[in-house]
Amino acid sequence: MANLVSIAKTVGSNRIVPTISIPYPLGDPNTPKEEQWKLRKHRVEVALDALAQNIEEATIFEVKI
Amino acid sequence: MKKAIHYINQFFGQIGGEDKADFEPEIREGAVGPGLLLNNLLSPEAEVSHTIICGDNFMGSNKEEAITRILNYLADKEFDVFIAGPAFMAGRYGVACGEICKAVKGRFNVPVITSMYVENPGVEMFRKEIYIFPGGNGAVTMRIDVPKMATFAKKILSGETISSAENEGYLPRSIRLEAFKEDAVSGADRAVNMLLKKINGEEFKTEMPMPVIDRVPIATPVKDLSQATIALVNSGGIVPLGNPDRIQSASATKWGKYNITDLDRLQAGEWETIHAGFDPSAANSDPNCIVPLDALKSFENEGKIGRVHEYVYSTVGTGTTQAEASRMGAEIAQQLREANVSAVILTST
Amino acid sequence: MKLEIGNFYVQDIVFGEKTFFQNGVLTINKEEALKVVLEDDNIISADLVIAKKGDPIRITPVKEAVEPRCKVSGGVMFPGVTNKLMPVGKGRTHVLKESCVLAVGEHWGGFQDGLIDMSGPGAKQTIFSELLNICLVANTNEEFERHEQQKKNKALRWAAMRLAEYLGNCVKDLEPEELEVYENPPLDQRSKKVNQLPNVVYVLQLQSQMLESGYNALVYGWDANSMLPTLMNPNELLDGAIVSGSFMPSSSKISTYQHANNATIKRLMKEHGETINFLGVIVSNLNVQLEEKQRSAFFVRQLATSLGAEGAIVSEEGYGNPDSDFILVINELEDAGIKVVGITNECTGRDGKSQSLVDLSEKADAIVSTGNVSQYIQLEPMEVVIGELEALARDGNSGGWDGSVLKEGSIQMENNGIFCADSSSGNHHKTVVEY
Repeated sequence: MANLVSIAKTVGSNRIVPTISIPYPLGDPNTPKEEQWKLRKHRVEVALDALAQNIEEATIFEVKI
Repeated sequence: MKKAIHYINQFFGQIGGEDKADFEPEIREGAVGPGLLLNNLLSPEAEVSHTIICGDNFMGSNKEEAITRILNYLADKEFDVFIAGPAFMAGRYGVACGEICKAVKGRFNVPVITSMYVENPGVEMFRKEIYIFPGGNGAVTMRIDVPKMATFAKKILSGETISSAENEGYLPRSIRLEAFKEDAVSGADRAVNMLLKKINGEEFKTEMPMPVIDRVPIATPVKDLSQATIALVNSGGIVPLGNPDRIQSASATKWGKYNITDLDRLQAGEWETIHAGFDPSAANSDPNCIVPLDALKSFENEGKIGRVHEYVYSTVGTGTTQAEASRMGAEIAQQLREANVSAVILTST
Repeated sequence: MKLEIGNFYVQDIVFGEKTFFQNGVLTINKEEALKVVLEDDNIISADLVIAKKGDPIRITPVKEAVEPRCKVSGGVMFPGVTNKLMPVGKGRTHVLKESCVLAVGEHWGGFQDGLIDMSGPGAKQTIFSELLNICLVANTNEEFERHEQQKKNKALRWAAMRLAEYLGNCVKDLEPEELEVYENPPLDQRSKKVNQLPNVVYVLQLQSQMLESGYNALVYGWDANSMLPTLMNPNELLDGAIVSGSFMPSSSKISTYQHANNATIKRLMKEHGETINFLGVIVSNLNVQLEEKQRSAFFVRQLATSLGAEGAIVSEEGYGNPDSDFILVINELEDAGIKVVGITNECTGRDGKSQSLVDLSEKADAIVSTGNVSQYIQLEPMEVVIGELEALARDGNSGGWDGSVLKEGSIQMENNGIFCADSSSGNHHKTVVEY
């Protein structure tokens, strides 16, 4: 899970889930706690599903939140 | 006088051609074949004191044995430089020169030099580890290739500083280190000159050739998440308060593993980030924004995953070299494998 | 916009009764100068020490470098920072050339501070060993960051700017030895000859990765983190519109001295009308969110394209994750058909075997390399230390560690901790080659 998806790709990561920033990848401190939780839970779920998915090439997975 | 030891194959050692390629290694006093030219060129600073002759097939099929025997021959010899070839376009000979140079350098820590045609497979195999001079694709260039090695050997023996691959003529070893531009040409002037050439369609030369992008084999998917053990790894420097393993805040060479078995989340004040490459305030007030333990635990409770692995692994990814990062990654991966972890969520910052 | 820079070449600096410049000698009334420093009561002790090229002196922790200057007409020094906000880049500025004010911690250093050797093998690492340095060695009451690795160093950095202006003022009414004239007519008022030359922009990516204010580079006093890329006249930069920040390993930083003496801008100005038509400077930033990086890159592309640029030079103030901003901008410009040369340092490790940048692109085919941040450096003891040597090992310096300072005063460190050594403004002749 990385914010700099191009770097993640460059170093050879194959399953990439975008995060929102470098200092706080999974929860923007300027938003309410509940929102941070929703975002974090959603993106971790995307990551888990990505791990279970078959891929042919390095893939950046879409997130909704 | 300084001493050089020279390695050649059965053909240049005047043993014979392809039919003698199984010739077992032997050591002789003085110079043989192309070694005579080398000896003349090294004089008066150095001489070829011994010559090792080994059949290309013997080295190819019995590498360990050949190397061991040759290293044993050298063990009681005093020598200051080891020179192999030139091997030209001869593939087995080029690889043999590379193998023996690497072994001699590793064992005796003396400078090693060889020469071969750039398309010789020995170049790609050993270019990063030893000095290889680009040579011709056949023995007709002997009188060009041997002097290159001899001149360079003399330079090393005299204790002179060795400069860049481009200046010295050896093949680049993928070692990029600082130097100072001759005539003190500033970065600004180099940049503008390069831009003018690029705009005008003239040839220009970058100072930083782009390396080939890494490819990693794709891991097979997790078959059944509900049975899987998922581990959390991060390069955001999340550690227990006080940084018990003293992981460096930048240019890290250490990683740590921390037990999270009984935790549902990482509490602020008990965990912190020691990463010096970004503003730490967000992660310090909620470490889960880098290590999403709270989210992963909730998936464990819901049964979406089997369980969360009992340790979180942390290091710092700022100023950390790619080589150190690769080593740490391999070490962490090894532990995760031994713990039968099915998959990993790695958060990077 | 026309800017005249009047140079007074300083050959020596001494202390005396009065602050004045005569026959190449800058005399400083220390007491009066320190009064200017101590205007900020956060500074609790201060002294001035001179360090000249070739002296057996080691200076650390160095926090900032500022060139002594004054505005004679057409603006103020450091607008929006130490003086009221108003435009600069026109009128007359007088400069005490070859001299430099260094802000040095009396005790405390941090991640972002640097080291300068005035002689010996360490001297060639950075351009600051070539100057006559007026070291402002001071301690402050900034207790909130005393033990922080990342320091804003505000009191000392601001004091250095005030001191530089105080010193510069002594040549305000004198006739300079040399006058440099920088003139940039509006784009629609350039001659046909100039308009036929290839159009070139300079893109400066300022360090702006910190979220909290007080650490990032300032543009007319405005935190570069909160800005979108904008077009500036080269004269504004040469006249002090940009003030350096206090974040990033020291060797990767561009000091305020270097901003006002940006060698790339000066060379482009020199080429203007001869080989190129220099359109101006796109001041951009370096961010911590991918969207911010992309947004900035899109703005740089849009500005460069709207201006009709055919060529660009991009300078990156930093390394590591800023490499991705650097590569993004290069990709955007090259995709728009603009030919790019980048200036940056690299991180190849002590053994030189690691990948140069964290992000790569085949489009970045013309790069000028200014240093290896992790180059291992060993230096013999120096007779005199200005500041506190232990800061290199004790205070989390990016190029130091426990054990960096050996008993008798010799040091081992990484280039990261050499003050503003890699100069992506193009001021130095250091590079990286393949061995």
